[in-house]
Amino acid sequence: MIATELLINLESIIPRERIKSGQNQHHHLGNNAQVSVFPTTEEEISLILKYANNHGKKISVMGGGTKRGFGGLTESVDILLSLSLYKGIVEHTVGDMTLTVKAGTTFYELQEYLAKHKQKVSLDPTWPEYSTIGGIVVANENGPKRLGYGSSRDVVIGLRNIYPDGSIIRSGGKVVKNVAGYDMNKIFIGSMGTLGVVSEVTVKLRPVAKYESLILISFKEGSIDEILMFSKALLDSVMEPVALELLSPTLSEKLTGQCTFTVAISFEDVESSVHYQEKFVKGIQPSGTEMDILSESEAQYFWHLFYTICPNGAKESAGEETEAALKIGVVNLNVLSIIKESQLLQDSYNLVVESHGGLGHGLCQVILKGSSQKVVLAIRQMRETVLKLDGYLVVKHLPFELRQKVDVWGGKPSHFFLLEGIKSKIDPQKILNPKRFIGGI
Amino acid sequence: MAVKKIKTKDKHIKNLATIVGDASSILYQKVDLLAYECDGFTVYKHSPKAVVFPKNTNEVSALVKYCSDNQLPFLARGAGTGLSGGAIPLNNEVIISLVKMKKLLNVDLENRLAVVQPGYVNLKLTNSISDKGYYYAPDPSSQSCCTIGGNVAENAGGAHCLKYGVTTNHILGLEVVLPNGDIIELSENGILDVPGYDLLGLLTGSEGTLGIVTKITVRILKSPESKQTVLAYFDRVDDGSQAVSDIISAGIVPAALEMMDKTAIEAVESAAFPVGHPRDIAAVLLIEVDGIAAGIDEQINQILEVCKKRNVREVREAKDEQERASWWANRKTGFGAMGAISPDYLVQDGVIPRSKLPEVLKRIEQISQESGLRIANIFHAGDGNLHPLVLFDARIPGETDKAILAGSACLQACADVGGTITGEHGVGIEKREEMRFVFNDEEIIAQTNIREVFNPKNLLNAGKLFPTPGRCGEIKQVMKEATTVS
Ligand SMILES: Cc1cc2nc3c(=O)[nH]c(=O)nc-3n(C[C@H](O)[C@H](O)[C@H](O)COP(=O)(O)OP(=O)(O)OC[C@H]3O[C@@H](n4cnc5c(N)ncnc54)[C@H](O)[C@@H]3O)c2cc1C
Repeated sequence: MIATELLINLESIIPRERIKSGQNQHHHLGNNAQVSVFPTTEEEISLILKYANNHGKKISVMGGGTKRGFGGLTESVDILLSLSLYKGIVEHTVGDMTLTVKAGTTFYELQEYLAKHKQKVSLDPTWPEYSTIGGIVVANENGPKRLGYGSSRDVVIGLRNIYPDGSIIRSGGKVVKNVAGYDMNKIFIGSMGTLGVVSEVTVKLRPVAKYESLILISFKEGSIDEILMFSKALLDSVMEPVALELLSPTLSEKLTGQCTFTVAISFEDVESSVHYQEKFVKGIQPSGTEMDILSESEAQYFWHLFYTICPNGAKESAGEETEAALKIGVVNLNVLSIIKESQLLQDSYNLVVESHGGLGHGLCQVILKGSSQKVVLAIRQMRETVLKLDGYLVVKHLPFELRQKVDVWGGKPSHFFLLEGIKSKIDPQKILNPKRFIGGI
Repeated sequence: MAVKKIKTKDKHIKNLATIVGDASSILYQKVDLLAYECDGFTVYKHSPKAVVFPKNTNEVSALVKYCSDNQLPFLARGAGTGLSGGAIPLNNEVIISLVKMKKLLNVDLENRLAVVQPGYVNLKLTNSISDKGYYYAPDPSSQSCCTIGGNVAENAGGAHCLKYGVTTNHILGLEVVLPNGDIIELSENGILDVPGYDLLGLLTGSEGTLGIVTKITVRILKSPESKQTVLAYFDRVDDGSQAVSDIISAGIVPAALEMMDKTAIEAVESAAFPVGHPRDIAAVLLIEVDGIAAGIDEQINQILEVCKKRNVREVREAKDEQERASWWANRKTGFGAMGAISPDYLVQDGVIPRSKLPEVLKRIEQISQESGLRIANIFHAGDGNLHPLVLFDARIPGETDKAILAGSACLQACADVGGTITGEHGVGIEKREEMRFVFNDEEIIAQTNIREVFNPKNLLNAGKLFPTPGRCGEIKQVMKEATTVS
């Protein structure tokens, strides 16, 4: 009944058919709301925010919903603002290799469009068919190819941000190099929608590589030292892998059929260069390992599968088992310890644990499946391990109920007051994604 | 410790000297302060209250705390090569010079990172790891003297940033002294994506207005296996510009793609590093490709093809490392070379979408004609970052003003085609008003709101970066009164 007034007010902003009540109230991942709205113009988004800001209504912002299980300690807010209908290319100057796109465009749609021009956005998020570019940027999502291409902070050159008071604040611009004023793009990237609603994203593009291949080396003996030596040799060479990812045996079995620690090495360049690098890797291949080289469509198929291993928050219902996904950051080569530890967790907690980590960039993803109680215990143990290595652990996906038991973001940094300060300058009423971010921001 | 005597009654000077240990770490007498009245932007000068030289983070913190507690304006300074006036003590600041904090603290090749103090000079880092096959990518032309602290503050770029990115893409961690003296660590050990808003990214390029950087963790890269450099001469600027677009459209990502026009060529050929560029050509392109040797020839061939299609007069590859180095020395000393053909010059720093190059170059030509001042163009063509160099003679009354106006008009031309007013030199004092070419009032306030979070008293480097509402007239007047130019 409380929703009636809300509905009436929202109807004055956005047509009835793009307002839904009831539908998003009971998702097990939380981040629910009484009413969902699907704006198709920036003006509508701005008016909704302004309305909420003036009337003390709380908003949960959603793109494709893949990260619905990522943070959030409020089970249900007033309005779920979905950007899923706010999509499309705004501007693409092929020769400038820059593109502006509306936030609700899925990554898949974007890459399909760009492929016609032999260009791409050099990010590699999970679930490209579901993930929207806005969500990817705001949750700072990327994958193994970060080694070669960087992340949103390297790719995004401009944003349009709608502030809670409804004002539209541009950050950055449309050119690839820009130091006019503060680099405000950076605070929105990875802000989990707590500062404003990103409506448009401008990115710099890269050419699609002329050729690609993927080398899989499976370490039969499973000796961590051997993997370490091999990785060091490759990293100290002049080779230019765009990904150098260690897969845990469980994950490797799922993707390659081999239940061993496996190193996945990706090369993208002109064909002669790729083959030369393959040859180099063959030359340093440790004895007792098996090597497989997948080229072009085979390599692409591997990555296609790879991007579906993470739980997808956009799926409607909970499965039998509890699923969790962790993002872990450590100093590059400590990835080995994390992946090894995750494999041990699998046995000690009777879970299925799939994990991978970038030996050249230090970011890992650990996916856990099993009973909720065991999942929680395993996350806690993993966090202890990570803290000993001076790293951090963020829980990227977990059902709402369990997020009360595990601190999604870990402790607050000593400079937390600066984060709070930024939040209160931009969203003083705390209407956007309340309690979704670090330290209850 | 031999203690030099402080010869002043100013209690603040005495107290600041106590913090840095002795009188040899502070300058406060008028003659000693002259060199600190400006940085590389010499159009405007102002005297600091004092210059202090801390040796470590704790001293920086104590100095900052003292200034904050006593309402003394202060700012940080590196090598003073900034080109937009960021280190000019507009408000009689206490200058905290970081030049004594110049150590390389740690190199971790395996994890590809290095930790430096802010006063460490950019090129020294590459020099100290190159024997192991590594380097630090951001390469401003001033790299033999500018500091990495200054690079972080300005988010410096360089010729090779086209492929490898600018400073911000290579900063992994910072230790920062906040304007109240607190010391904070952002990603202490260089781990990526630490939870929280990306303060690392925000601090980089904040022109020393949010905090003083006292330690920097940077990413280092493995030197590419091979490099090849091509020089191409064009009789028409349009053809050169088109070649730039074609190279990029062909899916090549060159390490560098630089262009100089006729006036610039006249200057570099008259200066210390001539390489024999023909004086009558309209544009020269310097194109470098690097990476795996096996892939380079193919790309070079493509580049040669493109240039030929665009009516290149002559195009050739560097025959050896020596020739390559001489081409780069010629290019990298381009700004200073202006001294060979003009008593004074002003560097601008606009950025445009690459495809607008011919249009904007025509507009700059017009601005030159209208102002009666020659304008040379040296630029990072690959990323559309133009450096129009306005040539003038400050001894002629009114020419300094004319040069400032012409420079501003060039930036307007960049903004008009969807570009921006600075790609790497920063806003500083110089381009405060031009911020309005690219941001509206609300957007500027959004940024000053962020400054308030860090620098609520605005004692740290006040008056930089942002236009002051209602003060536009006043600033123009100040600019007018400025007379001394390099
Ligand atoms: C001939 C010449 C060529 C140049 N070429 C390039 C180029 O190719 N690319 C490019 O990007 N720039 C170039 N520059 C500009 C300049 O070298 C860069 O901006 C450089 O980063 C400045 O470093 P610095 O140590 O001299 O800093 P300074 O000039 O001393 O200071 C610059 C700003 O940074 C602040 N600052 C300095 N140190 C710190 C610190 N530790 N913490 C916080 N704030 C600090 C200062 O307050 C000031 O606002 C060139 C300059 C010259 C003179």
